[in-house]
Amino acid sequence: MVRPHGLLRAGFPFLKTLGMRRITNFPADVAFGAEGRIYILLRTEVDAEIRVWHFDDAESLTDQLIGIGGLGKDDGKMTWPVQIIADADENLFVSDEALHRITSFNMDGEFVANWGEQGSEDGQLNGPSGIAFDADGNVLVVDTLNHRVQKFTSAGKFISKWGSFGSEPGQFNMPWGIHVDELGDVYVVDWRNDRIQKFNSDGEFVFEIGTSGNGDGQFNRPTGVAVDADGDIYVADCGNNRVQMFNEHGRYLQKFLGDATLSRVARNYMLTNAFPNRLRDMANLEQEKLLRSPKSVRVDAEGRMYVPDYRSYRVQVYQKEAIHLTEQQLAPPLRAPTLQTV
Amino acid sequence: MADNDLALMAHLLRRAGFGAARSELEEYAAKGYEAVVEELLNPEDSPPVEEDIIDRYYGGEAPTIWVGKWFYRMIGTKRPLVEKMALFWHHVLATGINKTEHLPSSGGQIELFQRIGMSDVRTVLLEVSKDPAMIYWLDNHENRKGEPNENYGRELLELFSMGVGNYTEDDIKNAARAFTGWTITQPIPLYPQGHFKSEFQFSQGDHDEGEKTFLGHTGNLNGDDIVDIVVKQPATANFLARHMYNFFVADEPQVPAWSVEPPQDQETIDTIVKAYMETDGDIVAMLRAMFNSDSFKNAQFKKVKNPTELVAGVLKLVGTYRFPEPGVVAFGAATTLMGQTLLNPPTVEGWHTGKEWIDGGTLNERINFAVNEIGDAGKPGIQDIINRLGAHGGSVSPEEFTDKALDLVGPLPVDDKTHAALMEYAESVGSLDFSSDEAREEATPRVIHMLQMIAATREFQFA
Repeated sequence: MVRPHGLLRAGFPFLKTLGMRRITNFPADVAFGAEGRIYILLRTEVDAEIRVWHFDDAESLTDQLIGIGGLGKDDGKMTWPVQIIADADENLFVSDEALHRITSFNMDGEFVANWGEQGSEDGQLNGPSGIAFDADGNVLVVDTLNHRVQKFTSAGKFISKWGSFGSEPGQFNMPWGIHVDELGDVYVVDWRNDRIQKFNSDGEFVFEIGTSGNGDGQFNRPTGVAVDADGDIYVADCGNNRVQMFNEHGRYLQKFLGDATLSRVARNYMLTNAFPNRLRDMANLEQEKLLRSPKSVRVDAEGRMYVPDYRSYRVQVYQKEAIHLTEQQLAPPLRAPTLQTV
Repeated sequence: MADNDLALMAHLLRRAGFGAARSELEEYAAKGYEAVVEELLNPEDSPPVEEDIIDRYYGGEAPTIWVGKWFYRMIGTKRPLVEKMALFWHHVLATGINKTEHLPSSGGQIELFQRIGMSDVRTVLLEVSKDPAMIYWLDNHENRKGEPNENYGRELLELFSMGVGNYTEDDIKNAARAFTGWTITQPIPLYPQGHFKSEFQFSQGDHDEGEKTFLGHTGNLNGDDIVDIVVKQPATANFLARHMYNFFVADEPQVPAWSVEPPQDQETIDTIVKAYMETDGDIVAMLRAMFNSDSFKNAQFKKVKNPTELVAGVLKLVGTYRFPEPGVVAFGAATTLMGQTLLNPPTVEGWHTGKEWIDGGTLNERINFAVNEIGDAGKPGIQDIINRLGAHGGSVSPEEFTDKALDLVGPLPVDDKTHAALMEYAESVGSLDFSSDEAREEATPRVIHMLQMIAATREFQFA
């Protein structure tokens, strides 16, 4: 895999909204399948489910409201699911921080296996949250309350670990999301330290992004991280109700505050509900488009960014528009800013 | 430390908080009574509840979830009086979600009380007059120039400040006119994206700018002026002091009877009133006067626990939920079965208190809840009690078993009949043996059964 020499960042427009209350209640994460399938992980104190949706959002593909899982402790149930990932065969793996385990389903929604047990020994978990596959198909699990990352085979056999409690490089304070990029580097959301840490595939610290705050490049309890094929880094900055974007070196690029429109299902609902339509007519709708407590961010192979907009019961989707530049199309790096503009 | 010091501290923490685990109780008792009163009255000196932890683990916006999170706060907070005062104001300035149907407003009102519940009475009454849940609950959003709605003006005087008999119907009408135009913004509706906030809005065009006379004051009065006048009335000091007494010291008759039935302890209420009048309604000053009064200290077990106190107290005893774990939604449901649905008091009068908490059904629910919670030996608070009972590693006689169990649950004084019944059980199982792991394992269910019997006593229902 080779990263582009440079990028002409043409824009990052809002693309569409998926879901609504009742259908996608409190989405915490999303995973992608083939043919546009999207698995939306839903979590509240009273529900835990995977909603099977479709990028095309066509009624014919979604009207069955297919759900996988359900609230509980038994096999195939979830209590506090945090993140979801899909392997090449579209087996789904879900972390559960209440049951201290990883639960997997096949693409038909049938329960496959649980692995993990509570504890702090090698291979044991205490409140697992972020999960990601590496290039070998192993599963990296953020072991939140043990303040570490552990690597397992997809069947749950312990391979390795790194990290401890603290705020020094390579240490964590209740980490959350994780992503492995196509080069094998690992990005971990260090939730209570308000930063993102990048590691190589051996778990060696590379760099960190962010401090506490609400300025550009600062975080307030970030939750999820994703990296696209260009190396751009996306961070769900939950406490600041936004997603921030950085280049591959960790330089701040821009932020997304939310631009949601009414989804297809929301429009259909509103067309048959006169009273709420009147209320909307009386209300200030400006705040409606904004993100509320995004719990994750994911990017797909098409350069689309998906933000589970947790407290607004929907997923906001943006489309990256960037053109790869050759060496001839991008001047060499400058040593300092310049006021020359052409 | 003396047993009576521990009992007094337990009393303070039951009233000014939601009880305490034994180790917590011992830590507090070591500081001394007056020092702990000051600690409770100065919550900013103690660490706040970790909101980021709550937000991380407890998701969803159903009222049951919101209430569950409030219980989590009550159990784990280092600032228990903040939560207790929020519950106090929730009872006095009652609004119900059955009418608002809007959690950001109904929950937001409790959050308001958490912020300002220990400030001063003027701030509380002014802010609650601008509170969306209150405005909607008492129809002030319909209160317009030329077509006044008197609901809020009436209840502000009757139930929130002065009490019946201290104002006229004309005062109500003029108070209502002064609050015309105090309305709310229209929130975006629940569907399709969930709740959004409503906020206070002053609608100039709906406000009556005419001259009004209220309690002898005449002018173009606004709602702020009404609150300013109200908080200066001795009747307000008296009425709110009696509310405080009823909530924190000892059960009074229900509020509608207050205009005809004098307080049982006017002297203590006068002490609280004096603090009010000397400080322009400073709530901390009122609480300080009350907690340091002899009548408060002597009022141990003179109040029936409200369901919230019972549930939170049992959870403190069993030691769970010191860090988020699933299941908090059960607690609001539990208090509902006991007659108290948080966020949803039955009327603007709040809940009827005292013995009215207890009937055959609610008593059953109270006991069942406590017995079920205590029944799990794995819970840290139960483990702690078992460890303390067996601390010397030897044999514990039936009498010692009974008295120590009562001590560790409270200390809880019981009458002779109750004590005899508990002794009968203790004697039936014989001395407890803690000399080995096996013996301890054998003793555990007996300890649990004793604790469950204590939780089922009449005395356990009192705070």
